[in-house]
Amino acid sequence: MMRDLTLSDVEQLQAQAGELDEAFQMDEDTFRAFYDRTARALWLYLSRLTGSAPLADDLLQESYYRFLRAARTYESEAHRRNSLFRIATNVARDNRRRVRAAPSVSLDNEEAQPGLRTDPHAADRAARRTDLARAMAHLKPRERAMLWLAYAHGSSHREIAETLGLTAGSVKLLLFRARRKLAGLLGGAALRTRRAGRVGL
Amino acid sequence: MISIDCPREPEALEAACAGTWPDRCDEDLRAHVATCAICGEVVEVARALREDHDGSWRAASVPASGVVWWRAQMRARAEAARAAAKPITFVQGVAAACVVGGAIALAGAAFPWIRAWVASLPAVFPALDAAAADVPALVSLPRWLPLAAIVAVLLAPVAIYLAVTDD
Repeated sequence: MMRDLTLSDVEQLQAQAGELDEAFQMDEDTFRAFYDRTARALWLYLSRLTGSAPLADDLLQESYYRFLRAARTYESEAHRRNSLFRIATNVARDNRRRVRAAPSVSLDNEEAQPGLRTDPHAADRAARRTDLARAMAHLKPRERAMLWLAYAHGSSHREIAETLGLTAGSVKLLLFRARRKLAGLLGGAALRTRRAGRVGL
Repeated sequence: MISIDCPREPEALEAACAGTWPDRCDEDLRAHVATCAICGEVVEVARALREDHDGSWRAASVPASGVVWWRAQMRARAEAARAAAKPITFVQGVAAACVVGGAIALAGAAFPWIRAWVASLPAVFPALDAAAADVPALVSLPRWLPLAAIVAVLLAPVAIYLAVTDD
């Protein structure tokens, strides 16, 4: 869902924006259409990459700003989209270097899993997502990014390579290792969940 | 040598991502995944990530596109203003230094004349008369010069303030 904006807010923003003469590589209508097509996917990518929903909010704005400032031409929609994700990856990496702290992937709270509020019968799914979040926290940022792009976002190896700045040939091996690592972590988590369930019974 | 891919991996991935795994896919594929470590990991990881993705998609809260556009415009404008202000600030600093240096030089040049001017007023300040007697008569400088120096020293801060202020 989009955050609530009153009509007067929108009118005020439009009036102020109309006074500005700063030109980007893209006009407003094109940007807004592109944003509407990509924002949710990018936000989810950033939130899983960083493990923090508030941080993903900030990085989302920063990513689109850098994207707008980049004076580039794009061959296709896919190329433009991949460039945006690459910028977002770099923004997340820069942020990580700046704070110099390991990201704490804490998706087991309600704020990070807003679906729980609207779907009270999703306890099993929520438990699996919590297991996933904890397992992802044990991966390196590049492994998280790679797995998310490959299996949640549906990117091809070539697109992953373009987004993460890797060679296409290395993606297959790196993805294999990351997947094996996550599968091992998920297997352990599932076992612990089953044991906890038995103890609970 | 460890194999890192399987020819049926795309098939397993498709089943996991499309939500047809395990009930609505071929028995043959299920049997393969049960025995293939690579495809087993693909299904397990892909299902978990896909489920997380789909569950979060609707609830993902992103700002409206107009707000993001407006913030980007504002930031670009602020950065452009900052970039444009850098050379102006430098020139203002140089100008201020010149004004202060000039004022000091003028005051230094005018100081003997000031003392001479003070010495010419014994009727008003009798106490200064004795002190003025020690000063050589350097009254050859034009009389407007020290006045101009004083005015410059007084007005320079006002001029700098008016130059640097935005409004």
